[in-house]
Amino acid sequence: MSQRDERWTQPGLEVATHWLIHYAARRAPEVLSSRLEEEWLADLESRSSALSRLRLALGCCWATVVIVNEYARIRVPAASPVVAARGYITRADRNFGYFSLRSGTLFLILGLHAALFCGLITTFSHTRELATQPNLPNQVLNTVPIEMTALPGR
Amino acid sequence: MGKKDTNVRMSLQTLRVLEAFLENPTVQLAGAEVHQRCGIASGTLYPILLRLESAGWFVSQWESVDPSIAGRPRRRLYRLTSTGLRRASEVFASFNRGVLA
Repeated sequence: MSQRDERWTQPGLEVATHWLIHYAARRAPEVLSSRLEEEWLADLESRSSALSRLRLALGCCWATVVIVNEYARIRVPAASPVVAARGYITRADRNFGYFSLRSGTLFLILGLHAALFCGLITTFSHTRELATQPNLPNQVLNTVPIEMTALPGR
Repeated sequence: MGKKDTNVRMSLQTLRVLEAFLENPTVQLAGAEVHQRCGIASGTLYPILLRLESAGWFVSQWESVDPSIAGRPRRRLYRLTSTGLRRASEVFASFNRGVLA
């Protein structure tokens, strides 16, 4: 095993991988949460490389985001074996806000652009004010002081 | 149980998943095996599997093994339903018609 591979098999990385999968499963709709966690942990065991396992865990986090958005209002089979055995179909009733992920992303990008544009306008207007000379009143000096005291030591 | 909406948004990745199952329609595959066959990342694969399952194209069940004996956790196995087989065949047939036309 190379030094690079050893670095990727550190226990900390393994803990992080498991934590990511638990985190992703917890964020999934309630009816799917336990099922997805068990499924993903089982699939994790089939991966040998620690880097591959980490990629699976990160993918599960992204999968949760997609599943939450797609399955918010779709009927899905129950995760619990007991409930499933009774033939129930449960519903993922979670309030995911007024906007979809795509709309939210669009508004976020538009907001960032607006903030950047406002920031640039503010900065440039401030620079222009500094560059403009103040309107000073002109004064004519009639008498110029010509007495100059000699510097000490001369 | 209400009538399911069997329409599925077809993407290239969805077609690749279906193709893996159509090679042997009776086979049961876990997500990890589908990943090995298709090379689709897990972030894309699992939503597709759930999407196809909720549309009635797939059914899934836990592997019937004892984790203590097998030495590993049980996997979730997916299998094409008759509806899924028919619809997937129709999708590929329409693609073939489009290519050959």
